[in-house]
Amino acid sequence: MIQISLLKKQYKDAVVLDVPSLEIAKGECFGLVGNNGAGKTTLFRIILDLVRATHGQVTIEGEDVSKSESWKSTVGAYLDEHMLLAYLTPDEYFETLRKIYGMSDADLKSHLEKFTELFNEEVLGKKKYIRDLSKGNLKKVGIAAAMMGHPQVVMLDEPFENLDPSSQIRLKKLILKETEQSKITFLISSHDLNHVTEICNRIVLLEKGKVIRDLREKSEMMSELEAYFTG
Amino acid sequence: MFFTLIRLQFIKSIRSTSFAKSALASGFMIFIALLLLSYVFFAGIFLGKIIELVAEGRDAIEFLNAGLIFFFLLEFMYRYFIQKLPVVELESLLHLPIGKKRIIQMLMLRSFISPLNVIALLLFLPFGAQVIAEKVGILGFASWFGTLLLFSWSLHWFMLWFKQRFEDTWIGLVVVMGTLLLGGGSTYMGWFNVGELLAPIFSLSMTTVAPMLVMLVVCLGTYFLAVNYYVKNAYLEDLSEEENIRFVNQSVGFFSRFGVAGELANLEWKLIIRHKKSRTYLMLSAFFLLYGLFFYTNPQYQSDEGLSPIFIFVGVFITGIFMIQYGQQFLSWNSGNFDFFLSRKTGIESLVRGKYLLFMSISMVCFLASVPYVYFGIDILLIHLATFLFNVGVMVHVIIYFALWKPKPMDLNKGAMFNYEGVGAAQFLIIIPLMGGPYLIYLPFSLLISDYAGLLALGISGLIGLIAFKPLSQLNINRVLSNRYEISSSFRQEL
Repeated sequence: MIQISLLKKQYKDAVVLDVPSLEIAKGECFGLVGNNGAGKTTLFRIILDLVRATHGQVTIEGEDVSKSESWKSTVGAYLDEHMLLAYLTPDEYFETLRKIYGMSDADLKSHLEKFTELFNEEVLGKKKYIRDLSKGNLKKVGIAAAMMGHPQVVMLDEPFENLDPSSQIRLKKLILKETEQSKITFLISSHDLNHVTEICNRIVLLEKGKVIRDLREKSEMMSELEAYFTG
Repeated sequence: MFFTLIRLQFIKSIRSTSFAKSALASGFMIFIALLLLSYVFFAGIFLGKIIELVAEGRDAIEFLNAGLIFFFLLEFMYRYFIQKLPVVELESLLHLPIGKKRIIQMLMLRSFISPLNVIALLLFLPFGAQVIAEKVGILGFASWFGTLLLFSWSLHWFMLWFKQRFEDTWIGLVVVMGTLLLGGGSTYMGWFNVGELLAPIFSLSMTTVAPMLVMLVVCLGTYFLAVNYYVKNAYLEDLSEEENIRFVNQSVGFFSRFGVAGELANLEWKLIIRHKKSRTYLMLSAFFLLYGLFFYTNPQYQSDEGLSPIFIFVGVFITGIFMIQYGQQFLSWNSGNFDFFLSRKTGIESLVRGKYLLFMSISMVCFLASVPYVYFGIDILLIHLATFLFNVGVMVHVIIYFALWKPKPMDLNKGAMFNYEGVGAAQFLIIIPLMGGPYLIYLPFSLLISDYAGLLALGISGLIGLIAFKPLSQLNINRVLSNRYEISSSFRQEL
């Protein structure tokens, strides 16, 4: 699905990301962990072609992301609040996206129904601009937006951050359900080891821009990660 | 899709937290633009007559063709200073399946709808339709006019590329100065006359369509140049990455004598030199130091008795341009960290005082740098001294007072690309009402007693302002303090 080869990102002399090779298979729930400055967000941004790679390339289904743009219709992402149109209300934002993705009204309705529990009646039908929402609700809007238009890949940066405990659990359930039913490939970065080990079947650990662990065995994930982060 | 993008832009502007202010400003701008365009229109209608007056006995068409290139050089200059670059929140659109090309095309289309692009049309259409169509027929006129219009529009696209690529670099300034020299200088100095060199091309366009076709290719070429450049640079990261290293540790020692306010003046100074937008203002101040050369050398303003009142305007400009421009967005520069100042003990007072200190110091530097104008007479020095005193004593309070009306947030940290909010024609036009101030004081004395009395009055009012600095600045500080909740919430609202 996603193929990263010889990827390097450099600011002056500082190499912030150096991934010789990484492959993410279709339907995988891929977790990315690492301390601050490990390069998680940079990696996501390069995959989304928001930032230029210094060397190397990222391909999605064989397409180089920096050369074409057709992959954008099958990739959804929410990295930070700047990806939202802050001057719309959530309803208007979803409506705008519906047009961009060419969905029908019924499609949108059934999509948003999946989020009823997560939204907890605080997002839809309110006369409030996105810029006035709380951080948690912003995140919910972003996540729902990222999953619109039947994407094959969904990338979420710190999806659990700023959510209340019940919302965190609801989101976890939602992601598990989507990986199972729709075979969406999830890329999730998180500092919350409990959540990420629970939902992901593969976890990659970044340190100073380099992949230092690639864990696929669910039973060993937690102990390995704990050993790394406490040591 | 195109329509959706345009609708989004529209919604964004009416929902902006500072809609009232921008609506008023744009109302004023539209008024000014219409006024200026109507002047251009009338100039166009009477262009034939004007040429007859200026060039008695010469062929009007020939004369106009020889002058056209000067018009375009002038157009190049005014476009450089007032043409706005399109702004968009790239981050909110890039990840959607829209296509960078689409987004950029929308931007380009929006930038094209501008009064600047009808000036050539209004100015030359009437003359062309009356005189040229009569002489060479409708086809010849169409081809001539098409050449002009495409020339003007090529400049539009070229400027979009040029400003984005070279603004804030010395190359940009050198090219602009070079153009100025090429246009005015070469003819003035008698090296060669660009007008006459290029006149045959415009004459040719009245008989064949070749020049028009060439201009069409140039126009398309510059359009694609701009589009490609914008598409290629539609990334989140800054264009210039050496930024962080270029300006480290550049405190101005002099400020440290003024306690906390001095510290904040230092902070503000760092803010200015570390952001492209504010740096542009600083460079403009340096550029405007040369402004006097246009006026003081102009024989039209030289008279045996007294001073030309226009010199007061020039003086205010030279010594105060930085505070006039930078001061207009007084608090907006700090919109990203306004809460930081709010949460400190006497933070706001020190912030405002620090800004005062900085404005006054830069004004002082400009005044000192303008001393060589004494070459044009001691009077010029006196004018600069009087206007300088007036600027730091009175004007600075007035500007800040105006600027405190509904300040809007501004994101300085966004990439330099696509981030041009607040740099444009409005910045220049808002100055006009401010300019009434010095004349209110100068004119009565100069008309009733003498010009020197007028200057003295300006200087004394400035000195009074300086003596009363504490209470006057306190007025503005209190205004910030009493509006602090509104200001900080408006700064926080827009993401």
